[in-house]
Amino acid sequence: MGFDQFVADRLDRLLGYATAITCDKHLAQDIVQNVLMRAQGKWERIGAMDAPYLYVKRMVTNDYLSWRHRRAAREIAVERGELARHVPSMADPADAHAEREAMRARIAILPRKQRAALVLRFYEDCSDAEIAQVLACTESTVRSQLSRALQTLRTHELARSATLGVHS
Amino acid sequence: MNELIRQAIAAEAEERVDSRTVMANLHKARKRKPLGLIVGVATLTAAAAAAAVIIPATIKKTEAAPMAAQTTPAQSVLLLGTDDHNRADAIVLARFGEDGSVDALSLSRELTYQSTRLSQLESPAKVVEAVEKLTGTRADHHAVIKMADFGKISQAVGGVEVCLKSAANDPYSGANFLAGKHTLTGDQALAFLRQRLNLPRGDLDRIARHQAFLAGIAAKLTKDNAVALAREVSRSVQVDAGWDVLEFAQRFQGPVKIRTKTFESTAANPSGQAPESGAPESNKGPLGCVD
Repeated sequence: MGFDQFVADRLDRLLGYATAITCDKHLAQDIVQNVLMRAQGKWERIGAMDAPYLYVKRMVTNDYLSWRHRRAAREIAVERGELARHVPSMADPADAHAEREAMRARIAILPRKQRAALVLRFYEDCSDAEIAQVLACTESTVRSQLSRALQTLRTHELARSATLGVHS
Repeated sequence: MNELIRQAIAAEAEERVDSRTVMANLHKARKRKPLGLIVGVATLTAAAAAAAVIIPATIKKTEAAPMAAQTTPAQSVLLLGTDDHNRADAIVLARFGEDGSVDALSLSRELTYQSTRLSQLESPAKVVEAVEKLTGTRADHHAVIKMADFGKISQAVGGVEVCLKSAANDPYSGANFLAGKHTLTGDQALAFLRQRLNLPRGDLDRIARHQAFLAGIAAKLTKDNAVALAREVSRSVQVDAGWDVLEFAQRFQGPVKIRTKTFESTAANPSGQAPESGAPESNKGPLGCVD
């Protein structure tokens, strides 16, 4: 597959993926743009792979998980954390939209790697093996990252239902 | 709960930018040699190109990857900091030399053109015209940044360190500082930039503050906060339509020398006191104290 074809097919999806793991569309754009520029330089090698998309996704993920974006990620998490604290009290518990927004805010404050694993599973529908490839770790690490993320989200979900229960 | 997670992630992904924008940027970049830029520098320099005084320091701190050397003709860029009413508050004419050096000339907003002060002209376009006539230099491009956004920018770098020779108190701008070093963020930064009362050299001291503040930002830039800063700056800066800032940013390929000077006028200096002479202001370093 040529580079142009790859970009035409996958750019939108890649931007969606990057936005979901970073929770910041501008940061996502920066990362995707830069990764694609780098990928273009060595496309002969990447294009010949079995799964170029998986490889490029790995570049995007590594880039986000690298130290360069540590501070940006922390700032976003703090911002969203604030938001998460306010959502339950303002929202109508019966409102599906509010439910979703509250969940979104909780996902945004997960550790970066856990969120990446979660997005790969629930947005990209990747298998454990594929996630392990993207995150460059073992499958058992993938399973532990995912279960920790789900555990956190579940605890919050219960706490939230309890709070709302008291109020209503 | 899994279904809720799926929906939440999909909603987050929906926020993505338009892929056509990214596509266009990629096409533009393709015409040149592979950029090999480190992450963030493309946007960083593009955004910061407008804030010329910030760029050179940024590039220095982020170790821009070496690119194919190419000579670029010298260009003049007029940078305007505007107040909330779109009036010019800070005016800098920057000359980007062929050798990659930058000469930044600050002009007092009290300068008059056809008996109107630069600060009273209604639009940035008129200021551009007036400065061109006054200096006899044609500005190839111009960039406008709202002064109010410097509050956010100072926050993005975690505070900007400045140093005052004596205590300052100006109820109009809210500037109320003791003498010595201060780390400014948000409103304090704005008050510092806006102080106009009780300054011995009037507008010239205000300009000295702008320069000290920008040097302070430059001193705080690191690889970690450069991206956050770039995003903040790119939201705040407007450039003229014909300016390909990405291409422009490529002229910076390594450490850049920047020299600052101030274009003086008697109107800007009500006390008639002679401004500091001798050592150029750039020699004061980022933490040089201001009056």
